[in-house]
Amino acid sequence: MGDVAVSMSGSTHPPLRPFGLVLLLGVPALLAGLVNLSMQLPPGQWWHALIQPDATDIAELLVLYSFAPRLVVSLLAGAALGLAGALLQQVLRNPIASPTTLGIEAGANLALGATLVFAPVLIGFGREWVALGGGLLTVTLVLLLSRRSGLAPLVVILAGMVTGLVCAALAALLTLFNSHYLAGLFLWGAGSLSQQDWAVPRELAPRLALMGAAALLLLRPLALLGLEDGAARSLGLSLKVSRFTALAVAVALTGSVVASVGSFGFVGLAAPMLARLGGARRLGTRLLVATLLGAALLCLTDQMVILLSSSSGMLLPTGAVTAMLGGPLLLWMLPRLNLPPHTASGLIAPTAGTGRPFMCLGVLAVVLVIAAVLSASLGPGLEGWSIAAPGDPVWSLRLPRILAAIAGGTLLAVAGGILQRVTGNPLASPEVLGVSAGAAGGLVVALFVFDTIDRSGQTLAAMAGASLALVVILALARASKGSPERVILAGIAIGALLDSLVSILMASGDPRAMRLFNWMTGSTYGIDAASAASSLAAAGLVLAALPLVARWLEILPLGDASARALGISSLRSRSLLLALAAITTALATLLVGPLSFVGLIAPPLARLVGLRRPLPELFGAALLGSVIMAVADFIGRSIAFPWQLPAGLVASAIGAPVFLWLLTRKKT
Amino acid sequence: MTTPSTGTLFELTDTHVSVEGRTLLHPLSLTVPSGKVVGLIGHNGSGKSTLLKLLGRQLDASGGDVRLEGRPLADWSNRAFARRVAYLPQTTPATGGMTGRELIALGRYPWHGALGRITAEDRRKIAEAIELTDTAPFADRLVDTLSGGERQRVWIAMLVAQGAHCLLLDEPTSALDIAHQLEVLELVRSLCRERGTGVVVVLHDVNMAARYCDDIIALHGGRMIARGTPADIVTPHTLREIYGIEMEVIRQENGRQVSVPRL
Repeated sequence: MGDVAVSMSGSTHPPLRPFGLVLLLGVPALLAGLVNLSMQLPPGQWWHALIQPDATDIAELLVLYSFAPRLVVSLLAGAALGLAGALLQQVLRNPIASPTTLGIEAGANLALGATLVFAPVLIGFGREWVALGGGLLTVTLVLLLSRRSGLAPLVVILAGMVTGLVCAALAALLTLFNSHYLAGLFLWGAGSLSQQDWAVPRELAPRLALMGAAALLLLRPLALLGLEDGAARSLGLSLKVSRFTALAVAVALTGSVVASVGSFGFVGLAAPMLARLGGARRLGTRLLVATLLGAALLCLTDQMVILLSSSSGMLLPTGAVTAMLGGPLLLWMLPRLNLPPHTASGLIAPTAGTGRPFMCLGVLAVVLVIAAVLSASLGPGLEGWSIAAPGDPVWSLRLPRILAAIAGGTLLAVAGGILQRVTGNPLASPEVLGVSAGAAGGLVVALFVFDTIDRSGQTLAAMAGASLALVVILALARASKGSPERVILAGIAIGALLDSLVSILMASGDPRAMRLFNWMTGSTYGIDAASAASSLAAAGLVLAALPLVARWLEILPLGDASARALGISSLRSRSLLLALAAITTALATLLVGPLSFVGLIAPPLARLVGLRRPLPELFGAALLGSVIMAVADFIGRSIAFPWQLPAGLVASAIGAPVFLWLLTRKKT
Repeated sequence: MTTPSTGTLFELTDTHVSVEGRTLLHPLSLTVPSGKVVGLIGHNGSGKSTLLKLLGRQLDASGGDVRLEGRPLADWSNRAFARRVAYLPQTTPATGGMTGRELIALGRYPWHGALGRITAEDRRKIAEAIELTDTAPFADRLVDTLSGGERQRVWIAMLVAQGAHCLLLDEPTSALDIAHQLEVLELVRSLCRERGTGVVVVLHDVNMAARYCDDIIALHGGRMIARGTPADIVTPHTLREIYGIEMEVIRQENGRQVSVPRL
């Protein structure tokens, strides 16, 4: 399965020779390196600098202790990530496994950040051990979560990317609270290769050599792991031992890189994938070519970054750039993958349905009112918890944010429900389709292009971004013939693209970045009564519009052919509904940030409680989404009093596990 | 009620279809009569599904002319067309949490549209469709939990509720066992006989086509190579042209002719 997973059926080009591919990337990397070198030191002095370095010549010192080690580190780190990716793909029989897509990098990064803040002593034992522990924990979690699906490739990746998102969110939270300690974490989390001496390469090289040797020893068992479990076992292989060892080697490779230079998203995905596409069919060749390609790829990117920063003066973290290049790569790859479809039974399992949807909606509404009232009246203060009666001044402080949270939850849930029905994809939602990311991107651009921007301007920018993301993603969905999981992965890739954009902005040190960051995590803190009221009104309007499109929402999930046969112009109905979803998402994103999973989980939860038909399902989802956001707001306000956690971030911490549970839930 | 008419339903003049430089259907001229069961047969990739999609407006012709009841297809509005012609795709999509009755009720969309009221007429047609297709036992069950044959009946019931003059069915029996194949085709033919509904059906099995169709169109490589009554088509010579292998025609005890490949 693993070997046939990438099919190039769509292409008529003859496969490139695998080592030719290495040259194809390596030669430009070499050339760029030479150009950079000659800019720092005239070619005439090279030989001299190598044989008899002159300790008083700054240019020679810079080349010897900054440029050269950086070059070596980029080669080493790239090679390690390439090898790690190739190992992961083989062990999991999954052509899109990689340190990034399994959340290993994000997990290692979070472990490092958390250790720095809470137990700096541990760092003394060696950063790579901390990173290794974090990486292992993450990958174990991901595999446990997807175990029920029999480690179906798409489910593993979904679980991995969602876990990675949560780890990134938690790391963001740490940064929010400890910006003094962790100012450097951003740059480092985004992967920076700049060096001051030979310490890092001296550290990395022996470790990587060790892991490389381990991979070599694992070659034969790994080749068997590419087969079906049964076949491998019948050939006398202890599956557990060899699988675990190989995973550990891959995580250790990633961990060493993350600990010493940070994360370089997608190098570990791109290198083995290119090796495969280049025709490296046998496992040994593939591991070797992936290692070489990883080195060439990262080196090329890094030299380009140096070239760019020396010509424009911009300081770009190389890791953010690889993530930016990796996003489109994943998008390009998805339609070409030949993955077995997996039906997410927990999300679409037909439920018997309740005979009394009104009763069900009533109960949910009561729950929402209770949650809102409790949240408004309860809260920790300086003298411990207290209850405030209605009319108490704290109500006027708490109520706007509770209402804003409810409006945000409603809007996201409705957007999710509409997208799930229009795309016929039970996994669709504004968050995972990259629509929220698009809205955020629109806002980021507006924030940096215009110095001051009022709320209506923000709304417009967010809407433009959301619509653009939606158009792109649907075009891609069409290209990949609409397999649900692929569309989601495409959306996540778009989200990663945005993340890297934000990392680059953050690393630039612009003061607007912190404000942006605050908002990106979805804080309801600054909401005033007027904007809360207008958001609530917008949510009400959207709910009122739903009955007008209910019949479309019932027919469109049956697919284009059926819709057309019933006389629906699918272009018109779809565009209208998608525009509605984009507007709704943009409004919600302004309120609670792009990073909650409410739009993803509220509609399936509504179906789970027995609301089947479009209208009850959407109204139920809206109520559930509101409850989740209201609770998230309450938790964020009180759990770390006197500090505030952003509601969006708390919601994602609640939502991600629920989603993973739904994804792997067994059919009853 | 629709009155059985004997006129022409579809009329194709030099119609051809090509997608991305590949010709799926060479210029073709034919007429499809109303009130009859017309079978489309041919090898895989012969263009039979393409022809059916063309008739159902699921696919646009690259050139030539297609008319329904004398009017070019493009002149029909979406819903007006859907009131005349109902189409069943080859693989019916998953229906999520929909019950049989809810699915059948969707057939009324061309009549009431997105916002129109659901009238007594709509309800009567739905009840009638359920009765005609014998799907009452499945009406309150989730469609996705039905067996293949039951599900196909429910989908056909939806097409019946649509009240169209013509049903286009793309291999409605492909995933069914032999007993259910007979059952579904029996249903299709009785709809035609009792209500005068025209049917164009793509079938894989030439014997099924011969048993249930009044008129058979045989395609090969995107061209029509034979057309006629079952008796005209089920001859060793024509079958060899259609499928490219030697076939034998055997007489069953009940007098019907069946063909089998010469083994």
